[in-house]
Amino acid sequence: MQVSIKWLKDYIDFDWSAEELADRFTMAGVPVENVIRADEGLDHVVTGRIEEITPHPDSDHLQVCQMNVGGKERIQIITGAQNVAQGQVVPVAMVGAHLPNGMHIKKGKLRGLPSNGMLCSAGELHLDLTKLTEEEKDGIYILPSDTPVGVPAKDVLGLDDVVLEFELTANRGDCFSVLGLVREIAVLTGNKPKWPAIRCEEDDAAKTADLIQTGIEATDLCDRFSVRMVKNVKVAPSPEWMQQRLEGAGIRAINNVVDVTNFVMLELGQPMHAYDYDEITGHTLTARRAKAGENLHTLDDSSRVAKGEELVIADSEHPAGLAGIMGGLESEVTEKTTTVVFEAASFYGPSIRRTARACGLHSEASGRFERGVDVTNTPRALDRACQLLQEMGACTVTQGIVDCYPQPKAPVTIDFTAAQINGRLGTELPGSRMVEILTKLGFTIEETGEACYRATVPSWRNDCTYMEDLSEEIARIYGFDNIAGTTPFGRMMQGRQSARQTFIERIKQILAALGMTEELSFSFTSTELLDKLRVPQESELRRAIPIMNPLTDEAPLVRTCLLTSIMENAVRNFSRKNMDLRLFDVAPVFYPKQLPLTELPEEKTKLVGLITGRRQEIGWNQGNEQVDFYDMKGIVEELFARLGISKYTVEAGEHFALHPGKTALFKKGRETIAVVGELHPEAAENFGIKQKVYLFEMDVETLMKYTAKNFHFESLPKYPAIARDLAMLVDEEVAAADIERVITKHGGKNFAGVTLFDVYTGKQVAAGKKSLAFNLMFQSKDRTLTDEEADAAFQEILSAVEQQFHAELRA
Amino acid sequence: MEEKIEQLKAQAAEAIQHAAGSLTELDEIRVKFLGKKGAFTSILRGMGALAKEDRPKIGKIVNEAKAQIEALIAEKNEELRQRALAEKLASEKIDVTLPGRRQPLGHLHPLTLTLARIKDIFFRMGFSVEEGPEIEKDYFNFEALNLPKDHPARDMQDSFYITEDILMRSQTSPVQARTMQKNDPNTPIRMIAPGRVYRRDEYDATHSPMFTQVEGLVIDKGITMADLKGTLELFLHQIFSEDVKVRLRPSFFPFTEPSAEVDISCVMCHGKGCKVCKGTGWLEILGAGMVHPHVLEMSGYDPKVVSGFAFGMGVERIAMLSYGVDDLRLFYDNDMRFLRQF
Repeated sequence: MQVSIKWLKDYIDFDWSAEELADRFTMAGVPVENVIRADEGLDHVVTGRIEEITPHPDSDHLQVCQMNVGGKERIQIITGAQNVAQGQVVPVAMVGAHLPNGMHIKKGKLRGLPSNGMLCSAGELHLDLTKLTEEEKDGIYILPSDTPVGVPAKDVLGLDDVVLEFELTANRGDCFSVLGLVREIAVLTGNKPKWPAIRCEEDDAAKTADLIQTGIEATDLCDRFSVRMVKNVKVAPSPEWMQQRLEGAGIRAINNVVDVTNFVMLELGQPMHAYDYDEITGHTLTARRAKAGENLHTLDDSSRVAKGEELVIADSEHPAGLAGIMGGLESEVTEKTTTVVFEAASFYGPSIRRTARACGLHSEASGRFERGVDVTNTPRALDRACQLLQEMGACTVTQGIVDCYPQPKAPVTIDFTAAQINGRLGTELPGSRMVEILTKLGFTIEETGEACYRATVPSWRNDCTYMEDLSEEIARIYGFDNIAGTTPFGRMMQGRQSARQTFIERIKQILAALGMTEELSFSFTSTELLDKLRVPQESELRRAIPIMNPLTDEAPLVRTCLLTSIMENAVRNFSRKNMDLRLFDVAPVFYPKQLPLTELPEEKTKLVGLITGRRQEIGWNQGNEQVDFYDMKGIVEELFARLGISKYTVEAGEHFALHPGKTALFKKGRETIAVVGELHPEAAENFGIKQKVYLFEMDVETLMKYTAKNFHFESLPKYPAIARDLAMLVDEEVAAADIERVITKHGGKNFAGVTLFDVYTGKQVAAGKKSLAFNLMFQSKDRTLTDEEADAAFQEILSAVEQQFHAELRA
Repeated sequence: MEEKIEQLKAQAAEAIQHAAGSLTELDEIRVKFLGKKGAFTSILRGMGALAKEDRPKIGKIVNEAKAQIEALIAEKNEELRQRALAEKLASEKIDVTLPGRRQPLGHLHPLTLTLARIKDIFFRMGFSVEEGPEIEKDYFNFEALNLPKDHPARDMQDSFYITEDILMRSQTSPVQARTMQKNDPNTPIRMIAPGRVYRRDEYDATHSPMFTQVEGLVIDKGITMADLKGTLELFLHQIFSEDVKVRLRPSFFPFTEPSAEVDISCVMCHGKGCKVCKGTGWLEILGAGMVHPHVLEMSGYDPKVVSGFAFGMGVERIAMLSYGVDDLRLFYDNDMRFLRQF
């Protein structure tokens, strides 16, 4: 909705500037989005007469003008325009002007002669070029010769109006009209509106009811259907003043009949439609549901096939229009039209909205019906339209309105007390102030007891049903700013979050301390991404939930796997030459119980990590090694240590996205709690990645299950430990973890730990063998161990390892 | 005799003063004069040849002379030690302006950091964190919030639908209804619900198909609009700064009545008007209002017994203003050069 200040001022006086009015409106809950000034940049542009014009001595196209701009002195301006002549009055941009096209006017010289301003063209003044002749568009814009000299150009160009553009909320359908906005201004200023007298002269002998029949079949979709008729219509352009008002409101003038319907819609908020009477088959109009398959041929000359739920206005054979949205092409008012039926109706908003959305046709009319119109307003709107057309001398008006209003709407009443309102707002307003505000807003108030009231809601306020609605009306007029802030009383409450949320925060902090950086990614994925990651066709992860209306074809699914997201981010970083990454992501994935969904899917929180590139920051004293599998495994081990997850096993395993020889499964019993590995070379190729990438993936709820609930420290040893080193040769196939397990198992009661400190293959080691070196610790809690005791335990371990792994001990 | 001692003393002092270039040399001097076979030792040994009455006197002189020489040696010793230390330290000098060897920490996402600040402020006001599913029923996302199908206010949010009745939640408000329905009727509530929400918005500098919202809800007996204003003022003063001005503007949300848009004075220009606030001096920061009686009723609460307020804010918006980030996409592009700044 947009409307010019001039139009508002036709109906009410106020002294506020456009900006102040906009601010008042906004702070009263009628938000103004923009103040549009047609004269933007036209300060310092005045009218001036060319008193003398001579060719520039040093140029064959420039001319020197001596201008009278109202002052005593003439000013000299050099122009390149060819359409100027002595005696003409033209717009002159004076020094200091900052034109709409961004041009600053300064003192200057052109080919040696001073020039103190600029003569302006229509384009430079931002005039509406579509309304100008070719001649007017070219060169300097020549004003009528009797134009006064030295006055602001905006005044003579009709650019002194300001337009307010509203961004109305869905509840305030009543403000979708000049009438409604004036009503608000009246409340805000206390000034009395000057309503136009609405009265049409029924100067045609014919009775409307004899000429046309109307009816409502779909009474659930149409409350009221009213028509009036005009004869002897002379279709012509409407008068300038009306065209200006419409343009100010952003509506193109078409002809007097259509303009009148639009004018009334803007003025009173009642959408209208005009039919060419002679094109209405059977001279009947019925509001009914479209029949499925019926053809809807609308004004925009497009044809739609009805689904059967749309409300249409039909003649005896065909739909003559989509009710409240757009008229039909056949009954359109044209230059040949002589008899017109004006329609003003009240349609059911949700139905209009559904149809408008389905057809992709949002009109000024549908927007008003969606928000609800004042059902009592239809006769007034019809009278007003006929009056305006009549005043143009363009018609005669037939006798009476044909009004179909099967169930007149009873006014809504709301009981309230001042205490209720104050209790909701936290204010201490006297009841009398509330009554005053509501009365100004058009409510009728009856006092039913001590500070108890019954408010009758005005017909145009469909949004008010409850005491709470009245509290908002009172608050917005009283001013939200005038309510002083307090904090809630009530019982003390403890701010808490779930253990799961705390756990996630802890994971994030540990990983950040380990040098990993958190990313946030969209919950979308695509088949293409799943393909790239090598997700098997039969995998459950392929059963991703499709979005009915995805934003792009690239993200049509809700993700089932967080690895696709972290890979996307890695690829994006690589494309920006960020080659060293240590990323993690904690986010939900979505598993449907069945497809299509009949119930909500399962949401599982996953944790994934990715490292790639250099192990250390690049630097003069830093190594230049790349990260490897064991960096990633170490991160997981440290995370588990910090979370108190212990007694897990690690074994070689498989994962579709990972290198089959470089995949480790962390397990608690049979349950896998983490997968760590190198990105499968094929997946790397699919993503176009040339460097090694290592990933981990875990399920947050599973991790949480195995996290130590309580932490108890272990007391420091009082007695010294004894260390023994154990070096051996074993087959390359033997897993180090298996040897460690056997060492631990046979360590005896004083065994205190094992650390693998060297792994070697190559020279000095036979092919197919590897050398492993372990450091073993023995320690007693209650005494100092003797070397003999340590040796005995060591021997025990030695023989077990020799036996089980055919290990060959090394000196 | 006394002269001889004086002479020796002078010789020793001379030797210490000039000859001693190193600790070894100094030690040689010590041995020469004070050692078992040294000059003074031999004098003491030869004391037997002296007159009995002279012995104490000479003995005293010798011991004094020895003490003086020892002092000189100690002094020289310290000097030499200092010199040696200075030389060693000088030889170990490094270029301290070379960059240090950093052990970089990782970084939490700026939205996580901002959300943590928001949560912390509300925790201290006694608010708990509630959660709800991200794929949600239309009922909780809209209908239970007084937004029936075909309500024009649904246009405010273009949602991603999965089926007619299931969608990716377009706001965190459904957690309001879920929390109320989980509770016994009229149980007091002070909650925030942070989380991801989804809207069918083109991805640009100020819009994203997924973003992070924090919903807030307070329900109790006697909760007023003034309480809403006071609570939000407390929050906004803490998250931005104490001198931020807060303004409530009447607005419309189907789930609140009265409804308000909450503005703060622009944190960039302090209300003077700039590019960020589009010259208005104000920034829209959250939406709020008194819970609509329908919303309470639909979730089993009695609007005659309790009242409440609700609010909702975008975490991205707060993070953008806090850190001066001018393009929302930076949060979801996850460029390392961006992330490592936080």
